[in-house]
Amino acid sequence: MFLPDFDYHAPETLAEACDLVRDLGPSAKVLAGGTDLLIKLKHGLVTPTAVISLKALDELKTITHVPGRGVVIGARATHNDLVNSPLLHERFLSVSEAAHKLANNQVRNRGTVGGNLVNAIPSADLPPILIALDAWITLVGSNTSRTVPLHSFFTGPSCCVIDPVDEILTEIVLPDQQTTGSTYLKFALRRSGALSVTGVAVAVTMDGDTIVDSRICLGAVFPVPVRANDAEDLLRGKTWSDELLAEAGEAASCCALPITDIRGTAEYRLDLVRVLTKRALKRAITEGHV
Amino acid sequence: MNPPVITEQERAQKELAVVGKGIPKADAGVKVTGQAQYMHDLELPNMLYGKILYSDRASARIVSIDTSEAERIPGVKAVLTAYNTPEIRFGFLKDNMALKKDRVRQYRDEVAAVAATTPELAEAAIKAIVVHYEDLPAVFDPEEAMQEGAPLVHELNPKGEPNKDNRLRLPWKFSAGDVEAGEAASAFIAEGEYETGWVTHCCLGTAGCVAAFDPDDNLTMYSITQIPSLAKADFQEAMKAMGVRGKVRVVLTTLGGGFGSKLDTYAFEYIAMLLAHRTKKPVKILFDREEEFFATSPRQPTRIKIRQGCDAEGRLTFRDISMVLDNGAYTSWGATTPTVMMMPSSSLYQVENVRFRATCVYTNNTYAQAMRGYGTPQVTFAIESNLDELAEKAGIEGYEFRLKNANLPDTVTPQGFKVDSCGHVPCLEAVAERMDWAGYRAAKAARLAGDATGAGGDATLVESDTAGVPPVAQAAWTELPDKVRGIGMACLLHVGGGAKIYKSDGCGTLIKVDDLGYVDVYSGSMDMGQGLDTILRQIVAETLGLGVDRINVVIGDTDVCPWDAGAHASRSTFVAGNSALYAAQQVREQILNSAADILDTPRDGLDLTGGMVVCADDPEKTTKIEKVLRKAHFASAGNTMFMAAYFYEPPTDLLAGDFKGNYSMAYAWGCHGVEVEVDRRTGQIDIVRYIAAHDVGKAINPLLLRGQILGGGLQGIGWALAEEMIFDEGKLLNPNFRDYKMLTALDSVDVEPILVEDPAAAGPYGAKGIGEPGLVPTAPAIANAIYDAVGIRLRKLPMKPEMVLAAIMEAEGR
Ligand SMILES: Cc1cc2nc3c(=O)[nH]c(=O)nc-3n(C[C@H](O)[C@H](O)[C@H](O)COP(=O)(O)OP(=O)(O)OC[C@H]3O[C@@H](n4cnc5c(N)ncnc54)[C@H](O)[C@@H]3O)c2cc1C
Repeated sequence: MFLPDFDYHAPETLAEACDLVRDLGPSAKVLAGGTDLLIKLKHGLVTPTAVISLKALDELKTITHVPGRGVVIGARATHNDLVNSPLLHERFLSVSEAAHKLANNQVRNRGTVGGNLVNAIPSADLPPILIALDAWITLVGSNTSRTVPLHSFFTGPSCCVIDPVDEILTEIVLPDQQTTGSTYLKFALRRSGALSVTGVAVAVTMDGDTIVDSRICLGAVFPVPVRANDAEDLLRGKTWSDELLAEAGEAASCCALPITDIRGTAEYRLDLVRVLTKRALKRAITEGHV
Repeated sequence: MNPPVITEQERAQKELAVVGKGIPKADAGVKVTGQAQYMHDLELPNMLYGKILYSDRASARIVSIDTSEAERIPGVKAVLTAYNTPEIRFGFLKDNMALKKDRVRQYRDEVAAVAATTPELAEAAIKAIVVHYEDLPAVFDPEEAMQEGAPLVHELNPKGEPNKDNRLRLPWKFSAGDVEAGEAASAFIAEGEYETGWVTHCCLGTAGCVAAFDPDDNLTMYSITQIPSLAKADFQEAMKAMGVRGKVRVVLTTLGGGFGSKLDTYAFEYIAMLLAHRTKKPVKILFDREEEFFATSPRQPTRIKIRQGCDAEGRLTFRDISMVLDNGAYTSWGATTPTVMMMPSSSLYQVENVRFRATCVYTNNTYAQAMRGYGTPQVTFAIESNLDELAEKAGIEGYEFRLKNANLPDTVTPQGFKVDSCGHVPCLEAVAERMDWAGYRAAKAARLAGDATGAGGDATLVESDTAGVPPVAQAAWTELPDKVRGIGMACLLHVGGGAKIYKSDGCGTLIKVDDLGYVDVYSGSMDMGQGLDTILRQIVAETLGLGVDRINVVIGDTDVCPWDAGAHASRSTFVAGNSALYAAQQVREQILNSAADILDTPRDGLDLTGGMVVCADDPEKTTKIEKVLRKAHFASAGNTMFMAAYFYEPPTDLLAGDFKGNYSMAYAWGCHGVEVEVDRRTGQIDIVRYIAAHDVGKAINPLLLRGQILGGGLQGIGWALAEEMIFDEGKLLNPNFRDYKMLTALDSVDVEPILVEDPAAAGPYGAKGIGEPGLVPTAPAIANAIYDAVGIRLRKLPMKPEMVLAAIMEAEGR
C-alpha cells in the first residue's frame, strides 16, 4: 500500500489556503495531521490529485482565552496540544482528558482537533465532550465566514456541513459558561490505540445538590454524536441521587441507536450507555471538570 | 555420541563466573541504535520487488487470469501464475502449492505474483491483473465441515486419491490406564466444553525474504525462518520441482519476532524463488502489515470437551479429552500440535487413566500453524479451568486440590515421561505464599460468614474492595459494588529439554579458537530475539574460563553452521546450549592437555578461569590462556590450533506410534496466580496482580529469563482477554493493530516472575527451556479468578468485556 502521486500545496496564509480550496475544487483534499487522510489515500478510498497542507498556518494552532468569546482552540491544535494546555487544565480539564483518551501518543502528536471533527466518524472522541460543553466552530471560505454550533455540524457518518470545496475549519470555541462539572468516559477494548465502543460526555450545572441543567452527548451509538435529551430533561431541577442517575442512564439508552460491528453489538453498546452515563454524571457532579 | 557427563558435585564445586548472571543481550546495542539489519534493510544490487495477488474468494474455481495489462507496465519484469510456472508443493502434508491452480480454498490463496523494479510498480501490476472466479460452496465451521455432505475443501488428497470428508487422516489418539474404571471410581466428575479462537503472533517485523540465484543456479535465500536447516531442505526440494540444479544457502537477517510463525516455509518464499529464477535477478518480497495479519499462519482454534474425576479425597481418577481443531484450508505444522497437547493432557498432575483424541478438520479459513506453546495453552485452558470446577464439586479449595495431585520428582507419567527434576509443588507454593492465598481465602470466608449472619460484612465494602465478594452466596446482586475482585491460579507442564517430534532433535556446534584468545562458535540454532546467542556466549565463556566479550556466536547461515532442528519447543537453550557446552568442553580438554605439556605440569592440577590457565599445584605457572594458545600454535614441533565439533542429539524417544515414551530430556513446570477486578456493569477485567512462578532448572541469564516470562505472560493475557482475529466467512475483518487488540504498553501488566531453580540433570548447567511456558497457563488462571470474583465460568476465549457482561447478566438474572 503506497501513497499515490498528487500535487502538494502548503499555503502560507489562511486566505491563500481558502483560495486554493476553492480553485482546486473536488480534486483537492485538505491535509492537517494526516492520521485519517493518509490511511484513506493509501487504501485508495479517496483519490485527490492535489493535497493542501495546513502546516504553515501557525495561527490555527493556538489555544487562548478571548474575553467575551471563551476558550478558542485553533483547528490545527494537535491532541497533545490539548492534553498539555495549561489553559484547558485550568478551565476544562475534561477536554484535555478526552484528548488523552484518543488513539495513542504517536497519533496524538500529529492528529488535530480539526481533523477529528471534519473526519466525522461516529466514534470520534472529541465531539461528545465539545458538544457537551456547547462548543461552536468557525468555518472560513474564500469569501465567507460562518459559525456553526458543533451539535448541528455532523450530518451522518463521515458527513458534516462543511463545504469541502470552499471551507476550512479554523477554530473551535468553548464559550464561557455556568457549568460546574464535565467529563468524558470512553469505553474501548484496550487502553491505547483503540476506537471507542461507546463514549459518553456530560456537562452539568449544579446548585448544591440540585441539577440546574445538564448536557449529555453520546458517541459511537448513533450515526452522529447525539445529545441524550430525554435524560437531560429527566434530570433538570432535581436533587441528584444514585437512583436518579441510573434512571438518566436508562433514559440516555433510549436516545441511542447503535449498530453492531467488530467492536461490539448494539445491545452491548446500550448497556454501556446506561452505565457510562450514570458514572459520567456522578463524576461531573462530584468532581467538577475532570 | 554420548555427551560427557558432568556430575552435580563437579558443577557445585566451581563457582560460576558468567552463567547465572544477567548479562545484557548480545544484540542490545545494535537494536536500540537502529543498526540491526532486518529484512526491511536488505538491498541487493539490481534487486526486484515481488508482490502477490491473493484470492478475493474463500472458495472458488479460477475461470481465467488475465495478466496482459500487468505485463505491459514498464518496469514489470515477470508476471507468474500457476499456469506458467512449475508446480511447487509444500507443507506438512504437501497439500499446499506456491501458486494456486484452478481452485482457491481461502482468501489468502496466492493466485499470481509479479516482480518489478519498484514496490509501487509491483503493486500497480498486481492491481492490473484480472481474475475471474466462479464461487464454490464453502465451509467455515470445523464441526459443520465434519458433517456428511459438507463441501470438500480438498477433493483429492496429495496422493491424488479422493477424500471422503474434510477430516485429516492423522493419528492423534492417546490412552493410558482405564478411563471407564477411573470414572467408576470417581466420587465427583466435572465436565465442560471449551473454545479458543484465532490469534496471531503479531511479529513487529513483518515477514519477507530475498531470493537470489548465482549464474550457476545456486540459491541464496535471505530469510527470517526459525528453522534454517529444515527450510534449506524445503527450498532444496522446491529447486528440484523447478528443475533447477543448484544448491541452497539460507542466510538469516535479524528477525523482528518469531513466536512460532516461522516454523514452516511459506508460499511467498517459493514465489520469490520462482520470480528470481525467471528474472535472473534477486527478488525481495516484504509483507505489509495487512499481509502479516492475513497471510501468515495463526494459532489453531480448538473446541475441547473435557471430563475429569476425583475420588472422595480429591485424588484425580481419570481425564478424558477430545477436541476438534480448525486446520484451515492447508496443512502446516499446526496440525501436529495435538501431539504436544497430549503432554499436559496425560501428565499434568498425577492421573493414571487418561484418554485423548484430536481431530483436525479442513475448512475454508486461513490455515493454522505453530504459535508459542504449540497447543498447550489451548488444552491447559480446558484442563486447569475444569480442574477448578472439579475441586469445587469435591468441596476442596483449588490450591489444596492442586497440591494433592501435583507432580513429583523421580516419577514416570502415564505417557512415559521420565520426570527427574520437578518444580511443580515449589511453584504452587511460591505463588500461594506471594499472594497470601490462605489469608485471602480466610478473609473472604470471614466476610461470607458475616453476611450469612446478617452481621453486615458488606457494610464496609467499597467499590474496589481488595478481597472480592463471594458472589454465589450473595442474597441480592444489586447490593454488590460495581467492581469486585477474585483470585485464581493455574499450572503448566511443558517440554524443557527439547522434544523429539521430528526424526532428529539435535543441534551441531563448531568452535574455533584463535591464538589471541577469541572464540568463534558456529551454532545451527538461531535467534529471533529470545537471546540464544547471548546464552551460547555465556555457556562457552563459562566452560573456557573467558569473558563473554571473547566469545563470538555465528548463527543463521546454512553454509557455515551445522544442522539444527530449529527454534521451537523451548529447545534452544537446552539443546543448542548442550551442543555448545560439549563442544566447548572438548576445546577445554585440548587446551588443558596442551597446557600440561607446555607448562610441564600434570593436567589434573590445571583449570581455565578468569582468562587464565590456572595451575593449582604451582601458582607460578599460572599463565594467560592466549599465551598457551600461541605456544601451541607456534610450537616448533606439532603446531596445533584448537577446534571442536559436536552434534548433540538428545537421547529421547521419537513421539510416534502409541505416543508413549520419554520425548524430552527435562520437563518444565510452572504456576501462575492472578488477582482480577471485574467491573460487573461493563464486563471489563483488570489484572490487579500477576505472579508467574517457573521451574527453570537453572537461570543461565536471569535477565533474559525474566524477559521471556514477562513477554509470555503479556502475550498470554492478551490472548485470554483481548486478542482475536475476527473472520466473516473466511475474510479477516481486523488486519491492523487498531482493530486487532494486541495489548499496548499502557495495557501491560506488571508480571512478577518467580524463578524456581531445580536443576535438570541433563541440562546445560542445569537449565530447562523456558521460551513458551510463560504464556501457557495465563487464560485459565484469569478465568479461575473471574469465577472467584463473580461466580461465572467463562469457557471461550477471548474473555472480552461483552462476553463477561453477558454472562454476569445471565447469572444475576438482569
Ligand atoms: C492508530 C489510530 C488510532 C486512532 N484512534 C482514534 C481514537 O481513539 N479516537 C478518535 O477520535 N480518532 C482516532 N483516530 C483517528 C484520527 O487520528 C483522528 O480523527 C485525528 O484527529 C484526525 O486528525 P488529522 O489532523 O490527522 O486529520 P487528517 O487526516 O489530516 O484529516 C482528516 C479529514 O479532515 C479534513 N480536515 C482536516 N483538517 C481540516 C480543516 N482544518 N478544515 C477542513 N478540513 C479539514 C481532511 O481533509 C480529511 O478529510 C485514530 C487514528 C489512527 C491512525
